[in-house]
Amino acid sequence: MDRSEEKLWRTPRPCDYYWSEFRHCKSLWNRFHQYYTYGTSPSCQQWKEDYHNCKEWEKHRSAEAKEALQASERGRVAEQRKFTPVWQLRKDPPSDWYMPLNEDKPQDS
Amino acid sequence: MDQTKQEEDYGYGLFPERKRAQSSKGFIRDSLFTFHHRCQFMLQVAVDSSPYAKLLLNAMKSSGCKVLKDRHFSCEDCDGTVSGGFDAISSQIVLCQNNISQQSHMTRVVTHELIHAFDHCRAHVDWFNNYRHLACSEIRAANLSGDCTFSNEAARFNFGLKEHHQECVRDRALRSILALRNISRQEAEKIVDEVFDTCFNDHAPFGRIPHSKKDAKFASRDYENRGRYYANL
Repeated sequence: MDRSEEKLWRTPRPCDYYWSEFRHCKSLWNRFHQYYTYGTSPSCQQWKEDYHNCKEWEKHRSAEAKEALQASERGRVAEQRKFTPVWQLRKDPPSDWYMPLNEDKPQDS
Repeated sequence: MDQTKQEEDYGYGLFPERKRAQSSKGFIRDSLFTFHHRCQFMLQVAVDSSPYAKLLLNAMKSSGCKVLKDRHFSCEDCDGTVSGGFDAISSQIVLCQNNISQQSHMTRVVTHELIHAFDHCRAHVDWFNNYRHLACSEIRAANLSGDCTFSNEAARFNFGLKEHHQECVRDRALRSILALRNISRQEAEKIVDEVFDTCFNDHAPFGRIPHSKKDAKFASRDYENRGRYYANL
């Protein structure tokens, strides 16, 4: 089971995505935007490490590289979810989203 | 609820055409190049060319709310200087044809209102009774639509650098709430403060704050890749 999972596993992103994110992170524009938004400098090193781990996996199927990459991406996901939403998420879209417009209907709640 | 109260309390007074039938527009007006035509044209350009809009439309489609241009967008004349709005009752994005004259402005308004529509689609947003919900969506829309880029703020003569983006988002969310609801500034500020941290950090569906088209394209790329991404975490 483990070996077939290893064969099936792919890096969460293609390796060139990590490299382009690293380059984008280091760019002057991004450094400006980071300061303008958060008052800090961006930390870009993780993207570079992820790129190297990605390449390591591609070339040598390194288990350490895979784990490091997964840990890094899980960290990113956790960062994005680090808040309690003010609203409840829907299970289904609103039922009236496609309902035809009735121009003559009076406004009532 | 009677119509006058609804207009006063929920901002519908800013959008007077919402209660008039479409058939009241004259034939001559429709046949010449009008604000209406310009609005329709600029809307099409925004939808076709903006990576922000494309990602939002994609995300809404995946959430079960495919946006149909003729059904979910409406170019209308509006009061004052308001640029657009989202009408949750009719599930329509209103674009103020008399107040939007530049393509870049149209693109930004379309993105801003699509964020409201996206929130309406994916969450139980109580637009009319829960001011925290309204504030949250306004914070997200100001944050993620490009409303608060350095250049847009500079054009408003609001010059600021360190963390100015957050100041702008806070201020614009406050203005939107005060324009749409009959509450005091103090009350509105309190509500914005309560939900700011949570809502400023909710970047769905972008996964980041898109400060530029390049950011939006990267966000779009990640969105397209989300199947592979989550399957291999």
